[in-house]
Amino acid sequence: MSDSGCSSWFLLFIFYRFRGRELDDEVTTGFEWRSSSAIRRLDARFLVQRRVSDEDISRRTHKYHNQPLPKMLWVDKYRPKTLDHVMVHTDIAHNLKKLVKEQDCPHLLFYGPSGSGKKTLIMAVLRQMFGSGAEKVKVENRTWKVDAGSRSLDIELTTLSSANHIEISPSDAGFQDRYVVQEVIKEMAKNRPIDTKGKKGFKVLVLNDVDKLSREAQHSLRRTMEKYSAYCRLILCCNSSSRVTEAIRSRCLNVRINAPSEEQILEVLEFIGRKEELQLPAGFAARIAEKSNRNLRRAILAFETCRVQQYPFTNKQTIPPMDWEEHISEIASDIMKEQSPKRLFLVRGKLYDLLINCIPPEMVLKRLLHELLRKLDAELKHEVCHWAAYYEHRMRLGQKAIFHIEGILTDRLW
Amino acid sequence: MSKRNCVVILSSEDEDATSNLRSLSSSRSYTKSKSRSTSSSSRGRKKARASHSRSHLSKLHEIDLFGDDFNEVFTGSKVSAVKTSPYSLNVLLALKDASCSITVCYVDTTGTQRSFAEELWVDKYKPNSLEELAVHKKKVEDVKTWFEERLKSSKGVYNNNVLLISGQAGVGKSAAIHVIASHLGAIVDGWNTPTPVIWREHLYNSGTGTQYTSKLDEFESFVERVRKYGSLLTSYTGDSKPSIILLIDDLPMTNGKSAFGRLKNCLQLLVKSTQIPTAILLTDCGNADSVDYNARCLEELKLSLESSGACKVAFNPITVNSMKKVLFRICQMERRDVTAEYVDLIAKTSGGDIRHAITSLQFFCLKPNLVHSLASSTCSHGSLKEENNKPDRSDYGYSLHFGRDEALSLFHALGKFLHNKRETGVGIEYDQDGFLLRERLSRLPLKMDVPEKILCQAHVQPGSVADFLHENVLDFLDDEAIDDAWTVSSYLGDADILLAKLRGMLCSYNEAEGVLQSAAASIAVRGVLFGNSNPLSSRWHAVRRPRLWQVEKVSLYKNEVDRLRIPACKRFSSYHMSIMATEYMPMLKLLGNRACGYDGPSQKSSLNLEMEDFDFHKMDLDEQSMGLSDDDIEDW
Repeated sequence: MSDSGCSSWFLLFIFYRFRGRELDDEVTTGFEWRSSSAIRRLDARFLVQRRVSDEDISRRTHKYHNQPLPKMLWVDKYRPKTLDHVMVHTDIAHNLKKLVKEQDCPHLLFYGPSGSGKKTLIMAVLRQMFGSGAEKVKVENRTWKVDAGSRSLDIELTTLSSANHIEISPSDAGFQDRYVVQEVIKEMAKNRPIDTKGKKGFKVLVLNDVDKLSREAQHSLRRTMEKYSAYCRLILCCNSSSRVTEAIRSRCLNVRINAPSEEQILEVLEFIGRKEELQLPAGFAARIAEKSNRNLRRAILAFETCRVQQYPFTNKQTIPPMDWEEHISEIASDIMKEQSPKRLFLVRGKLYDLLINCIPPEMVLKRLLHELLRKLDAELKHEVCHWAAYYEHRMRLGQKAIFHIEGILTDRLW
Repeated sequence: MSKRNCVVILSSEDEDATSNLRSLSSSRSYTKSKSRSTSSSSRGRKKARASHSRSHLSKLHEIDLFGDDFNEVFTGSKVSAVKTSPYSLNVLLALKDASCSITVCYVDTTGTQRSFAEELWVDKYKPNSLEELAVHKKKVEDVKTWFEERLKSSKGVYNNNVLLISGQAGVGKSAAIHVIASHLGAIVDGWNTPTPVIWREHLYNSGTGTQYTSKLDEFESFVERVRKYGSLLTSYTGDSKPSIILLIDDLPMTNGKSAFGRLKNCLQLLVKSTQIPTAILLTDCGNADSVDYNARCLEELKLSLESSGACKVAFNPITVNSMKKVLFRICQMERRDVTAEYVDLIAKTSGGDIRHAITSLQFFCLKPNLVHSLASSTCSHGSLKEENNKPDRSDYGYSLHFGRDEALSLFHALGKFLHNKRETGVGIEYDQDGFLLRERLSRLPLKMDVPEKILCQAHVQPGSVADFLHENVLDFLDDEAIDDAWTVSSYLGDADILLAKLRGMLCSYNEAEGVLQSAAASIAVRGVLFGNSNPLSSRWHAVRRPRLWQVEKVSLYKNEVDRLRIPACKRFSSYHMSIMATEYMPMLKLLGNRACGYDGPSQKSSLNLEMEDFDFHKMDLDEQSMGLSDDDIEDW
């Protein structure tokens, strides 16, 4: 436990106390939980780290050892913990609260653009269901043994679980995702928790990125959903519901989480500013909100970055751009300037740089389109959109995204 | 493989034939004269039988004879079958069919045709003098002087007594040794490969207590013997001891690193300590860049032997001209009237393998007989000999059957596709019935084989072909030709989509996937060929390994590392990687150490959008670096 870590919790403690919203005992348990879970987190990290035999990483492990506990990012620090504290989608939060209170909670499907607060709402719902116990999570790398016909597979996944819920991203298992879904649900059904009143409770399974699941996995998810619906509730989370099969969508309560408007983002930023006791010049937060593309997470991250880079804020201060977006706009201007095989080759190198840094090719294409649209004549725009959609579709069909991204770059539209 | 095949056939034969064969097979590797004698003895045997059958001119006996001769031809063929690679076995199998008809023939028409059935031309027309060798004069001279020097001078003058002769199969390596030896009056002695023990035989023998010894063990003990009592090797008991040439043909097959190491050591010892002039023959397995493990072992063996002091001579494939000379000579001696056209074709398609060429010639000369003799055996036994010898025009189909399949290296294939060589003649007229193409769609005819055939010869995965083409094609496009680039990339995209189909079913390989994959490869290749509408004049280009592979690998690794690094720090951490990469990472980079103690700044620097730690080995199209670059490919 380092000084800085402790002091920040202490501040937090004071802060809660000052607000007086929570009862004293709750706060103290919260505090205790935080410190103990921090240790647990450390442990988990070591567990995880040890698995990777790479020399490079083991060096890092050593470094972790002597490191102070990380301070929380504002994104996490000011994440609303309960449905009551939600600032952005208050109406949805209100409805969800009523829903959970009535005890019979249906399966839920949250969908919406990234940075709109899906995960936050899900965590708040879990807290609403199970109380603060839902926040005692542990990170685990688990291996499932699956009998797939003649062979048995070992599938490794990172899970986040508390006594009452498990959170996984089955799409990480690649094309073996269907086994994961089945196996986890089956296992949950096997050891059903019994609550204090002797009534059989249920567990909640949170599945991330359902839209990235393969078609087979979605079908098997649907079947397992029916079979085990008495034992567990599913909370699904995805960006686009269009890639979730109709069968699943109809079995869930669909909750669309819109991207927060700029005013809402502004409101949140100002709230954080107040909490951090910052001097916000007029219009500064608005600029961040505007730049954030209606992505709350991005806005808060950018806000914090600005704080670190320069404080007190000035109105001339630049909002740090995302480096990959810069990179893409460079690519776009490259290709607009000159279209030739040589140039294409250079651009290909830059695209590879992006892909190496795990920027998903879909986002590259989307951003590229965005940049191109800014620079192109009006009459070309619809053509470009058409072709971008065409290549995006092909990219999904194919395997090697670079082939298709180059397709749009070589297109003879401009 | 070929050995085993033959042995299976042997074991099915009756006893005396087997013993006969045993002696044949044991002697086959070095004493050709002996094999001749055995075959002549079998000739005698046959005569007896033939007369026997003639005395009882009953159908039944003819059939009997039929079977015997079948065996006999096969015994004859066995001599070469053991040595030659599988493709000539195919020819032999065809010969087997043919031989049935020959026997019918020679029952009717005694005399000239008789000898035909008894021996393969490969053995019959084995070179007996230096002039008859088809091998390049200079190489023969080199080898001859090498042996001469060592045989004439007293022992111990030269400290390297090993000659390493390498070359493709059928370029006359052992023939050259034998001819030179007889020219110099030396005896060729050597490692006679023991007959392979088949498993069932071993089981049978194991009851009697004989231990199984691997060929490698036997070879090792042989080498040991040679080193210690080299001069006592032969059981020659004459007044004047002739000089000996040791010939090691057919090294034992090794499997695995340790066995190969043993073989290497034992050969190195031999090189260092042998007192007798020794020739080691190494057969290059096809192309040097094949991914075959054995081929690489051979290469390594060659190098190690050279480094320990062996003298190396490489025999090149036999040129078409000298091949033609030999073939014409044989035709003349067989009194067969094969047109120059055919001889030319055979010589060209044999790929420098003279054994193959001669077998093909024999096969080719048989075929008309087959057609005819079947006819003659069904109708009255008329002799229409003169007709037999004329290759019919209708036999054109047969001409397709000879010729070896050639293998192409990946780089040759890629070079062909990328350079996109086309006919340049202006007056290329289109077929009358061909449909008219628009100007922008028509292309000059390709100056190469069908792309699919090249793909087949190169033995490559469709996916990697597409990757390689994608990586390199831009270098070969005209600077202005962005349209071409578009066409090419759209075709490559199509290929990618085809390759990605059935992705989830990788474990269960099925027919459809194979078809799909080859279709994808074909589309990729043809798309590149078509798309490049104005091929550049050929100039030197390096062919790079697809950077895409590296990118995929690195991003996977990064994904893994980041995943391990970040989630542990976050509370509700199961964000998808894309969010991590697009939103957290850039900001964390800016926040640096101050905001959160994720990692030191050194960590951050590794996230730079640079790939300084990855060097890309250029792979060249030219010959020298071929060996190196292949290894690189293999690693991937």
